[in-house]
Amino acid sequence: MASNPMQQFSVHKIGPEIKIAGIDLSFTNASLFMVVSVASILLFLFLGTKERKIIPDKIQLIAELVYNFVAKMISDTAGSKAKPYFPFIFSLFMFVLLCNMVGMLPYAFTVTSHIIVTLIMALFIFIAVTIIGFIKHGFKYLSIFIPSGVPVVLLPLITVIEIISYLSRPVSLSVRLFANMMAGHTMLKVFGGFVISLGMLGGWLPLSFSVALTGLEILVAFLQAYVFAILTCIYLNDALNLHH
Amino acid sequence: MKRYLVLILVLSTFNTYLFSAEAGMPQLDPKYWASQAFWLILLFTILYISIAKFYLPKIKKNLDDRENKIKEDLDEANNMKSLSEKKLEEYNIILENSKKEVTRILLESKNTLNKDIQNKKDSMEKEIEKEILNAQKEILQLKKSSIESINNISQDIASNIIEKMSGDKLNESSIKAVVEDISKKNIGKYL
Repeated sequence: MASNPMQQFSVHKIGPEIKIAGIDLSFTNASLFMVVSVASILLFLFLGTKERKIIPDKIQLIAELVYNFVAKMISDTAGSKAKPYFPFIFSLFMFVLLCNMVGMLPYAFTVTSHIIVTLIMALFIFIAVTIIGFIKHGFKYLSIFIPSGVPVVLLPLITVIEIISYLSRPVSLSVRLFANMMAGHTMLKVFGGFVISLGMLGGWLPLSFSVALTGLEILVAFLQAYVFAILTCIYLNDALNLHH
Repeated sequence: MKRYLVLILVLSTFNTYLFSAEAGMPQLDPKYWASQAFWLILLFTILYISIAKFYLPKIKKNLDDRENKIKEDLDEANNMKSLSEKKLEEYNIILENSKKEVTRILLESKNTLNKDIQNKKDSMEKEIEKEILNAQKEILQLKKSSIESINNISQDIASNIIEKMSGDKLNESSIKAVVEDISKKNIGKYL
């Protein structure tokens, strides 16, 4: 079937094969859309900071709004100690947002619908946060596994649960984004296929669904980028401000 | 038994669907994992460095500049306001002072005018009094001299009458004595 809903996620090589030390690092359609996303972000920021006016024009205003949005998100969740990580959170938010949004364009490839991409980002965040925690607090960082105010009897159980939940952070973070993106795009494709197969007579219903779903998916694209960034902030907050 | 068979069938298809890359999820095909990881890390590093080194400082500087500008403008406006209030106060003080000055000048000129008028009036009155006094004196003198001349005239008349009637010439001193006697008796009537 040509309209296999999973077809859109397949990766194929563009251009020559690049092999370094026996590992295939070829430029693929996934890489192409990563380049498109990164280039869009850089172009947007370039235009947004080109003329630094006291009264901003539209694109400058948008850039400043995004800046303030991310800055407020970080200061609300992780406090002032997280200031050095602001560029990282900003880049992360913009990257995920643009990858999701570029994926909404017809015929585009959704970079974030691949588990390997989200897993690498999540693992990087997880490892970095753990390292930051140990650097800031030493072995006292392990006390995040022991919540305060828990009866001593329950403490072994709670600690085990806390450790499992801590270790599952990269998995939940990556799978949340990947699954949301994949499910949304699969659903769009399925409804699109229904429109074709039901034809002029019955195709209107799935078409209207498809339109509604597109709106929903744009919302989800923004929301998942936001969730990804804010969860990173929360993990960072745990590492920076040891409350327990 | 039948239920188990169905379950196994579903699970096996799911399994092949999930892990056979051709038909199932291309995401789980490890063929391009390394490539995706490589490009992701490369591009994200480029993005991070350009954002952290160029764009965020620019945006931050611009936002700070704007905030400073607004603060400066507000400060300046406040300064202007206090300055204008001060000027208004000064103006009011000047106005008040000049009002006082005006009333003072008015009062002063009124006083001097009054004094002047009074002085003139006084001197005028004195002069008038003096004139009256002089006139009275003159009148008195005139009266005195007129009495004398009347006496003389009446003496002359009396001697002339007596001469015409009797043809004798009386001695002048006796006529004078008689006239003076009569005039003394009757002078009260004319004075």
